[in-house]
Amino acid sequence: MKKLIPPIRAWTGPLTNDLVQHPGDFGLGRVPARLKPDDTTSMVCGFCSTGCGLNVHLKNGQAINLTPDPNYPVNLGMACPKGWEALTPLDALDRATTPLLRDGSGMLVPVDWETALQTFTLRMKAIMHEHGPESVAWLGTGQMPTEEMALLGAVAKFGMGIRHGDANTRQCMATAATAYKQSFGFDAPPFTYQDFEESDVLVFVGSNLCIAHPIMWQRVLRNKHKPEIIVIDPRKTETAMAATQHYALKPKSDLTLLYGVANLLLARGWIDRGYIERHTTGFDEFEALVAEFPPERVAAASGLPVAQIERLAETIGRGKRVSFWWTMGVNQGHEATRTAQAIINLALMTGNMGRPGTGANSITGQCNAMGSRIFSNTTGLFGGRDFLKQEHRAEVARVLGIGEHNIPTDNSLAYDQIVAGIGSGKIKGLWVIATNTSHSWIDQGTFNDLAKKLDFLVVQDMYHTTETAQRAHLVLPAAGWGEKEGTFINSERRFGLLKKVSRAPGQALADFHIFTLIAHYWGCGEMFRAWSSPEAVFQIMKELSRGRPCDISGIENYRMLDEKGGIQWPWRADDTELQTERRLFEDGVYFHPNGKAKFICEEPREMPEPVDSEFPFLLLTGRGSSAQWHTETRTGKSGVLRKLSPARIYVEVNFEDAERLGVAPGSTVRVASRRGALEATAFLTNTVQAGQVFIPMHYAQTNVLTHPSFDPYSRQPAYKACAVAVQKL
Amino acid sequence: MMPTLTLLDDLLAEQGSMTAVARFARLHERHELPMQARYYRDLIPLEQPADGEQYAFAVDLDACTACKACVSACHSLNGLDDEEAWRDVGVLFGGTMIEPVQQTVTTACHHCADPACMNGCPVLAYEKDAVTGIVRHLDDQCIGCQYCVLKCPYDVPKYNKKRGIVRKCDMCSSRLGAGEAPACVQACPNEAIRIEVVSKAVISARVELEDALVPGAFASDYTLPSTRYRSRKPLAANMAPGNAHDLTPEHSHFPLVVMLTLTQWAAGALCADFVMRTTRMSGQAMVMCAVGLALAGLGASAFHLGRPFGAWRAFLGLRRSWLSREIVVFGLWSNLALALAGSLFVTALPPSAPIVLAGGVAATGLLGVFCSVMVYADTRRVGWGLGRTSGRFFGTTLLLGLSMVAAFAGGVALCGAVAVVALLKLAWEATFLRLGDEPALRRSALVMRGPLRNVTMARFVAGGMGVVCALAAIFFPPLAWLALGCVALGEFSERYLFFTAVTAPRMPGRIL
Repeated sequence: MKKLIPPIRAWTGPLTNDLVQHPGDFGLGRVPARLKPDDTTSMVCGFCSTGCGLNVHLKNGQAINLTPDPNYPVNLGMACPKGWEALTPLDALDRATTPLLRDGSGMLVPVDWETALQTFTLRMKAIMHEHGPESVAWLGTGQMPTEEMALLGAVAKFGMGIRHGDANTRQCMATAATAYKQSFGFDAPPFTYQDFEESDVLVFVGSNLCIAHPIMWQRVLRNKHKPEIIVIDPRKTETAMAATQHYALKPKSDLTLLYGVANLLLARGWIDRGYIERHTTGFDEFEALVAEFPPERVAAASGLPVAQIERLAETIGRGKRVSFWWTMGVNQGHEATRTAQAIINLALMTGNMGRPGTGANSITGQCNAMGSRIFSNTTGLFGGRDFLKQEHRAEVARVLGIGEHNIPTDNSLAYDQIVAGIGSGKIKGLWVIATNTSHSWIDQGTFNDLAKKLDFLVVQDMYHTTETAQRAHLVLPAAGWGEKEGTFINSERRFGLLKKVSRAPGQALADFHIFTLIAHYWGCGEMFRAWSSPEAVFQIMKELSRGRPCDISGIENYRMLDEKGGIQWPWRADDTELQTERRLFEDGVYFHPNGKAKFICEEPREMPEPVDSEFPFLLLTGRGSSAQWHTETRTGKSGVLRKLSPARIYVEVNFEDAERLGVAPGSTVRVASRRGALEATAFLTNTVQAGQVFIPMHYAQTNVLTHPSFDPYSRQPAYKACAVAVQKL
Repeated sequence: MMPTLTLLDDLLAEQGSMTAVARFARLHERHELPMQARYYRDLIPLEQPADGEQYAFAVDLDACTACKACVSACHSLNGLDDEEAWRDVGVLFGGTMIEPVQQTVTTACHHCADPACMNGCPVLAYEKDAVTGIVRHLDDQCIGCQYCVLKCPYDVPKYNKKRGIVRKCDMCSSRLGAGEAPACVQACPNEAIRIEVVSKAVISARVELEDALVPGAFASDYTLPSTRYRSRKPLAANMAPGNAHDLTPEHSHFPLVVMLTLTQWAAGALCADFVMRTTRMSGQAMVMCAVGLALAGLGASAFHLGRPFGAWRAFLGLRRSWLSREIVVFGLWSNLALALAGSLFVTALPPSAPIVLAGGVAATGLLGVFCSVMVYADTRRVGWGLGRTSGRFFGTTLLLGLSMVAAFAGGVALCGAVAVVALLKLAWEATFLRLGDEPALRRSALVMRGPLRNVTMARFVAGGMGVVCALAAIFFPPLAWLALGCVALGEFSERYLFFTAVTAPRMPGRIL
């Protein structure tokens, strides 16, 4: 009877029970009762290069939820929204679940793997047969495990004979890699995250750490030394707000400003002559060049008053442990390599290297940008080697047990050169893997026009809906993060482990398996018999690294990575007493043959597309929010992440400009460059300076506008400045 | 071919096998304490609140730098639906050209000392915990009327359409009870959110010192929010929310548009019936129509409820909730109106009975409309102030009542009265379109002139047609029916604008 009469007040019931929490065990604290795991395992996140550890909650071996790993040395129990939502994109309805082949009517239709692989092989071989080995190229990614990159690089170059391959890491880290290589003799970011906590001065150049790398910002806040936090950025970003000093310089005046700071450091004697003499070369040329950068010149170029430039130099000069950090504001510039090196030069001349809380430190973009730099076998040979050097080719041939003749003697074309090659008719077949060129490539309109010229475009991706996949002749369905094993290398050189915690949908296969199958169908499978699993490849990578600066021969296996919370390179076979956090160059010995670091500098150049009367605004692009990742192929799949940023493309316009143009807040404006135009909602603000506008890079249209200019050394696209016009609609 | 297929099959099979558990030993043995506790131990109080105290969120704005991890953590650790999260992050902009300022603001339920949601709930689906002061929502008690959504000036309770109820932050009371930190506190990399114990006296005193929690937030004296936002750098005086210029219309609550228009129409007609009955002029037809409208209106309101079968509990909130009162009074009214309709067919009754009944119906009808006014006035939304709301609701009552009589009974005076009242109401509503200084009313005007342009146009065109038809009906009486139709259409559109063009107060939102 009691059951039949509803209570006056229902304190319990099915709706209440839906949210009831129970102790999760496994050290988790309370979790929703229906998401109580029967096991947990830790793995690294697959978005950015911070490389956070995520504690995946498992039920019957499958992931049901996750929390940041409290024991992982990188993130100390924290994650950004993307990390928290890392599992959600795996369940998206637009996952590619079967290979898709474009049929006679132009539709992508499902086919089986057999057909897909036969088609891939036949068509690529036909192109290479007709137009030569240089007529096919691949564009890879910084989002794949290192082992998959290595297998791809080996299969494509040594097995299939493809000459040209590059990756979207060209868009994020090429500059840092090039700068380090030239300055230190090896692509070697010297820092460990502990340095954020040890500095008394932190200098961030072109880095919006608070939203781009929130978990690194966490480490800054753990700094107990009341540090001066300097942000050099044209915009008043979240990080600029949180800084103690913000220098809102004119866009692309960073190289001049950094030389100006060097000039003042020299003039005031705030340099470490001893360090310069013992550990560097090229200082005289550098000194001579920066003499040309007195404060007045720098003030005129940067728009900063002389007093501010002096304050900046003094803060750096008087710091005891100064660390310098840079991100895409530097890397994506027309003179990016020299700008990165200007930062390196400041660290070298002030002796801020190799000690806790110091360093010239590049914060990487993608989760495995560094894996790509060392092991992708694209523009550099395995293990940070050089295709041009015979002794390097011989080493690799010996380690892999292949003939030296299998190894190309030329470097690969860079991304932009591959795109240009499509235009010139040199490249006829393109294989795009886990990247979204049609969206992200600078001046996307040109690429999208050129893509029509391709005889065969293959896209290998988790989703069949990416802008690039929609243009493909063949789509290969890939398993994603969480559906396969491997390792990522984060910004501080830490190898972190990926595990298989979720079942890939349909016929989707790990990229590793796809490469194995392609090798098999191509007829070169035998050559990669030893590359039988990701962990087997890890053992091969160890051998490839032996004796190199990135030596990891001391890492026994995946189990060791799992137990130690990731391990930073180098870790040599004879090293003992593994410490969780290690930095490079503590002995002041660099990787050039003479053991010294090199000062490298060059007169600044005008930006490629300055504003003029027709296109009077400078367009800045960058990250919009912590909840968005690049072209949003994954973050766009999470309802929670979607609601954390505006759904529609918007442009930040300064109040004064808006008033002049008659643009009302929230109204739609047309933004046009010489390459194309888009419509966006105007957000009026004072955080961008007059004469500049800002559009987040995540929106599909943004790169319609950007200007295809490249740093000459790193070939990295200069996304951060182009001329546009803004018009009220 | 065989070996080929075997490799493919092998790899597909391998892809399907889960290996994480088998390949890697369990590294996390059973722990007594949550491993995360070492990071949040100092962020939650050691002891429960004493008498006169409660738990409260304390936010360090200097440490809140827009990572938004708190939002994701709330979603994941509470097992919420797809887009659901009980914490949100907004942003304020201000300062000068030389010194621009932006400040992100993380916000959740403020667990107010005088919670508007709880005070408005018709079924007592809210309780303020006697010990912790946490404002909890009883999910199984909720009928999905969403009045709390309208009442809360911080946009905290969120309607969950799938489940037909509202859900909200409970400060992870189950975690706090077990000595664990709420999800958002656990997840903030910057330790920007903590739980503190605060006395109710302090909460009340704070209201005297600061108008609102942060710039752009609703006046704190309404609900006495317990959250404390602190910053070493005082926020610039001109700070405005990132969504300050967002002109997205609010939810239309369409069943309520129908309900309010029809009940007021019926109430007006039944009042007119009473007046006419005393002069022995009224007939059966109009009463029957009016009763039909009343029942249709009240029926429509049921469609607004996510869980209508719990609506019988609506009397529970009588002591505090105007919605309860509205429901009870209109319930009585509809029964009286039915009795009145019935009485017209029973010849055995004394002739005074219908007049007495009609008087009762008219009085309860007007009381019901008054309750309707108070339901919205009590939300403290500027656009729903007592003056504006009573003007609209009683205006509709008068106008549609007159129009109804004019249609049924005709007459120069009645048609003229309809035209005058309709014109006056239109003229008064036209002043709502003025861009004045009051921000909420200004935004409403912009919404009506912008995204809701077409509805606004429809409202004035239909109303204007009503005036014209009423005047024409002086000469050609059947047009009074057309006038009634136009006026009714105009009032429906007016009520749609009432809901959609209002400015709902909320914490600072995200940009655009």
